[in-house]
Amino acid sequence: MTLHRGRGMSTIEYPTGMNQNGDPSQAWIKVKPDGRVDVFSGTADIGNGSKTIQSQIVAETIGVPYDWVTFDNSNTDSSPLCTGTFASRATFVAGNAVLKAAREVRGRILEIAGREMEIDPGDLELEDGSVSVVGTPARSMGVDEVAGAATFVHGELLTGDGAHLNPAAEIIDPETGEVDKPPHAAISYAACVAEVEVDDETGVVRVVKLTQAYDIGRAMNPTLLEGQIDGGAVMGLGFGLLEDSYPYYPANEHRGESMNTYHVPGMEGLPAVENVLIENPSTGGPYGAKGIGEMANNAQPAAIAIAIHDAVGVWVTEFPITPERLLAALDREAAGEDQPRREGKRVIYDEHLSVNTVATAKSWRP
Amino acid sequence: MDLVVNAVSHEVDSAPLTSLLEVLREELDITGPKAGCETGGCGACTVLIDGEPRRSCLTALCMAEGREVTTVEGLGTPEALSAVQQAFIHHYAAQCGFCTSGMIVASSAYVDRGGSPDTGAIQEALGGHYCRCTGYVKILDAVAAVARGDDADTMSTAASPTSSYVSIGGTGNGGGGAA
Repeated sequence: MTLHRGRGMSTIEYPTGMNQNGDPSQAWIKVKPDGRVDVFSGTADIGNGSKTIQSQIVAETIGVPYDWVTFDNSNTDSSPLCTGTFASRATFVAGNAVLKAAREVRGRILEIAGREMEIDPGDLELEDGSVSVVGTPARSMGVDEVAGAATFVHGELLTGDGAHLNPAAEIIDPETGEVDKPPHAAISYAACVAEVEVDDETGVVRVVKLTQAYDIGRAMNPTLLEGQIDGGAVMGLGFGLLEDSYPYYPANEHRGESMNTYHVPGMEGLPAVENVLIENPSTGGPYGAKGIGEMANNAQPAAIAIAIHDAVGVWVTEFPITPERLLAALDREAAGEDQPRREGKRVIYDEHLSVNTVATAKSWRP
Repeated sequence: MDLVVNAVSHEVDSAPLTSLLEVLREELDITGPKAGCETGGCGACTVLIDGEPRRSCLTALCMAEGREVTTVEGLGTPEALSAVQQAFIHHYAAQCGFCTSGMIVASSAYVDRGGSPDTGAIQEALGGHYCRCTGYVKILDAVAAVARGDDADTMSTAASPTSSYVSIGGTGNGGGGAA
């Protein structure tokens, strides 16, 4: 038995928003008579923090404390449409919708405050829940007072709505796939270096360290962002080495029958993870944000496969790289069977090098 | 049968071999323990029985009779969260939240018995708990912080020990797209 060390790097780009766009989000906001802000948006928060991010955008844009904002996505009847929480789109697309609605609300607050203070709204500023006269900060009134006046003096409702849609890109050349406008809201970039230790007798791979760099636009909430990236690293580790609904190749009767036989990374034996987060603001995102959702688990599997090649000189052509698959690749190499062909920069895996998968081996199905 | 949960005695009607998880969730409406794999594999249903972490899905109701059952609801109140609950907030140790109550219950038992802040020791203690979202990074940070006796400010989040930021500043040079 020998332990071999190896390193591999992969790079990815990942689109923000639905491919070819055409995915709208809408929002509306009302201000209660005490100045507290209710946001209605259809974005489902599945643990990604979209309620937090959208509330931050609203608080920042209107100019009220964060804890004045209530985000209501409790039902589809009271919330405007959001295409959904997918495609790494919630911060960018739905965030832009609440941003526009919040700008409108800010304008309405300044308008009513201007009437109350008998001054042009253009001479007012609004920050931290207080409206004041530019250059004369002593002349001020709270947003709660403005909202109360709107309700009980002027008989009006402070409200705003907003929507965001990157129009659908149409394919104008089916041959090349060329589209008539940019097909994504934004593009994020990442690189990952995996360091592995491979046991050539058992085929067990241990990932020692993952070093990752992410171009993430503006980090609107660094803690939420890190949560996505840390979690993605360990998911990517699982996709690279463990996760398969048919984990017990090659015998069909040994396939997984419950989620208990679907192997996900546990807490023990985790690699060290180091992240470098590059703030590179986007053009169209709210406050320069981009999406950081699904891309977080894309780079690791490829980096691990390349690191394994660096360690033991064989390409394993299917994920997850289980001990069985790695040992099969080592056996093929020892038998002098073909390795992937190289043509210039391309590494080509002929079909016979591929371990059969569920998708290609129909005879395995019960 | 009487069942003591979070220091309150309940008269329950379920059959003696009903899983404790089902009794808690379905009969008593105590939903902190989550029904994950329901075969002892994931840790989401963990409760304390006389202070020891146990899978409530594998524990028959009759095995809990006469003993103190504690769920995540019994560790603190919204006004007075336990130290572990505060640390989970400060370190942002929950995303979707499904594993969180089991993690908090098991972590509480770990720190209550004087567990060390050493990463390896925490990984061993919580090794039977699976989390799909966090990559465990911030959960380990939170438990280590409690084991060290750090204060947790629930109105702020902790700095990450694993991430560093590079700002290339400006606006509008970050790629993309459609206006």
